[in-house]
Amino acid sequence: MSFKKIFFAIVVLSITSVVSTHAGTICISLAPDTANSSRPAMGNFLHFHSIIKNIGDKSVEGLVAWISLIEIDPGHEQPVDLEDWSAHKAITVARMKPGDTLKTVWPIRLIQHGRYRVAICAADRNHPAIYTSPPLEFHVAKKPVIQSNRIFPVAFGLPLLLIGLIFYRKRQNRRARI
Amino acid sequence: MFVEAEHLKLTIKSTSILNDVNLHLAGGKIYGLLGPNGAGKSTTIAVILGLYDTDGGTLKLFDEPAGKHSMEAIQRIGVMPERAGFYDWMSAREYLEWYAELYGGIQFPISDLLDQVGLKHVSNSPVGHFSRGMRQRLALARALSHNPDLLILDEPTSGLDPRGRREIHDLLLSLAREKGTGILLSTHLLDDVDRLCDFIGIIHKGQTVLEGSSNELLNTPGSGHKFRLRLRNIPNADTLPNGVHLTGRKGNWWHVSLSSGINPPLLWRALLKSGWQISEIHGEGNGLEELYFQMTSERGNTFGEELL
Amino acid sequence: MTPVRIIAVKEYRALLKNQRGLVCLLAFSILLSAFAIVLISNRELSLLDNAQVVYMMTGTITAAGALIAVILGSDSYAGERERGTLIPLLTAPITPGELLMGKAAGIIIAWGVMYGLSLPYLWAVGASGQNLLQAVFYLALFGTPVVLGFGYLSMALSAETGHVLTALLNSLLVLIFSTSPLLIGPGLRNSAAGRFLDAINPFSGALNTYDAVIIDGNSFLAQLPRLALVVVWLGLTFAAARVASRHPRFM
Repeated sequence: MSFKKIFFAIVVLSITSVVSTHAGTICISLAPDTANSSRPAMGNFLHFHSIIKNIGDKSVEGLVAWISLIEIDPGHEQPVDLEDWSAHKAITVARMKPGDTLKTVWPIRLIQHGRYRVAICAADRNHPAIYTSPPLEFHVAKKPVIQSNRIFPVAFGLPLLLIGLIFYRKRQNRRARI
Repeated sequence: MFVEAEHLKLTIKSTSILNDVNLHLAGGKIYGLLGPNGAGKSTTIAVILGLYDTDGGTLKLFDEPAGKHSMEAIQRIGVMPERAGFYDWMSAREYLEWYAELYGGIQFPISDLLDQVGLKHVSNSPVGHFSRGMRQRLALARALSHNPDLLILDEPTSGLDPRGRREIHDLLLSLAREKGTGILLSTHLLDDVDRLCDFIGIIHKGQTVLEGSSNELLNTPGSGHKFRLRLRNIPNADTLPNGVHLTGRKGNWWHVSLSSGINPPLLWRALLKSGWQISEIHGEGNGLEELYFQMTSERGNTFGEELL
Repeated sequence: MTPVRIIAVKEYRALLKNQRGLVCLLAFSILLSAFAIVLISNRELSLLDNAQVVYMMTGTITAAGALIAVILGSDSYAGERERGTLIPLLTAPITPGELLMGKAAGIIIAWGVMYGLSLPYLWAVGASGQNLLQAVFYLALFGTPVVLGFGYLSMALSAETGHVLTALLNSLLVLIFSTSPLLIGPGLRNSAAGRFLDAINPFSGALNTYDAVIIDGNSFLAQLPRLALVVVWLGLTFAAARVASRHPRFM
């Protein structure tokens, strides 16, 4: 695969839904939106659909579910601060009866290029466990809106030119001193 | 007359700044405008230059009414303001060349002009590096750059050393005597007036309190050099020669004023011969200084002498 | 040379030969450089649409130009007075109107130089987009009256007050108030007061036009009301400068 292709390739998002069935009362599935770009790049939005289902025989109280994103580029493995990526970071549900499902759409804006995994996690008030969906993996391609190879010469060159002119004038002045 | 100002009045923001100012300056003459700080000297100059419109009185420049100064009249005036300001990044030569263009171009070589004021050696130096005295000289060169008939100078020699002052005095005298330039000189330095001026005007609180030729004013009884004499006896005051006036007495101290032309050492000798037992002599300033203090004094006599 | 030209040439030389003038241009250039570097170093901004970036750079150039024009305008009369060079000008054979025109031409020259300096910045951020030429054209058409207007307003205050600092502070207050759309974002602009200020604010007029033509690709004809607004602003500020310059404070 060429360098360019690596940069602009899409990440294969799972075509089929993935389902988490922990040995507990909550089951979370996660699927990409069908309208998601096949070649997501910086600045694009992706949407993910989650379904949280109470598969136990008792109600779940005080459920909170959140989106979790990690970068998995070699050498850059890290959790991502969602500050810039999404304003829709968590949901809460007071009570889920047995068999109840909760569908949620999670939009994220792709801020930085790289390989990522996204998952939806959930926890409730009474069980000391965290439930997670199986993660989905995607790749964000670079999108150069502003080209630093043009900006840097101008942004540094013009002030330096003016500073040079100021020093030149100063030198001229010094030469003409009494 | 180059300048003829009669009963000038000026009020700014309901404050009376000038109230009856008179000034008469003819070509070839030097007029010294004296007065304490805030008396209205600079404002008078501003009125003459057309920077303020008067509220009363008449002003003529070159015998023409000067309500709104004509460009012809302005062309004939050279001004040296109290503050000698320039564009510090320009050289002296550049500045004078630029300024002369405002008057339609250079009238005579800039080098000659700079030579005249003693700045030829620094003509290409930026004005920002000039000392205060050099800036004063350059300000005079600026005033002269378009060869004016009337020079209006505000404190022209302040900041100059004695040699520099003497050079400027000589230049001004030669301009007045040889070229017929009329010079209006506003100054605090009585020595400048003493040496240069043909006419004197004293302004106090926006009013001309004295105007006349310096000869006339300095020869008036009571206006000459003054001395304080300590006497061991009480002589007859009638024995004082002509031109010597007794102006006051306090105990053993007698105050006398001498008209110009009286030679003090000869006078003391004559007084001793006629029975005056003089034990001490103190000079109390020249006539102009006395005249100035007399005219601008708030409380009059402050020493409590017995006035005769 | 006419008196107007003599004064204008002096102003031009003061800008390019005097340290103070060059420092003003350097400040202008540094402002634009800082903004350009923020654009590429800030992830959020670097993701903006190219037209959005060009729009923001055009607005920043107008604001920075107005700031420098205010500095130069505040110095125009009061600076001469404080340096002791105003009386020699007022007593020279030039009319107050000629002096004003020369000074006004100085501000035009300064804006011309700043406009020239800003073109590389526009090219740097906008060459890969489709809206560079619109930005260059509308910056000249709308930026010029806005920037000159601020310069003339500060000239009026400079002649009236005779103090550089007073003129500068008052002009800056007006400038900050006018550039508030750039500073406070769209939130407040959607209120009734915000919409009213937008309608009478020349700076908003220019910004809205940049937005309309650079981002939305609107027609020139649709911009005519805003063009009228900025031209009226220029006319009013020049008239204020004209009145104040008849009797500038000189003592």
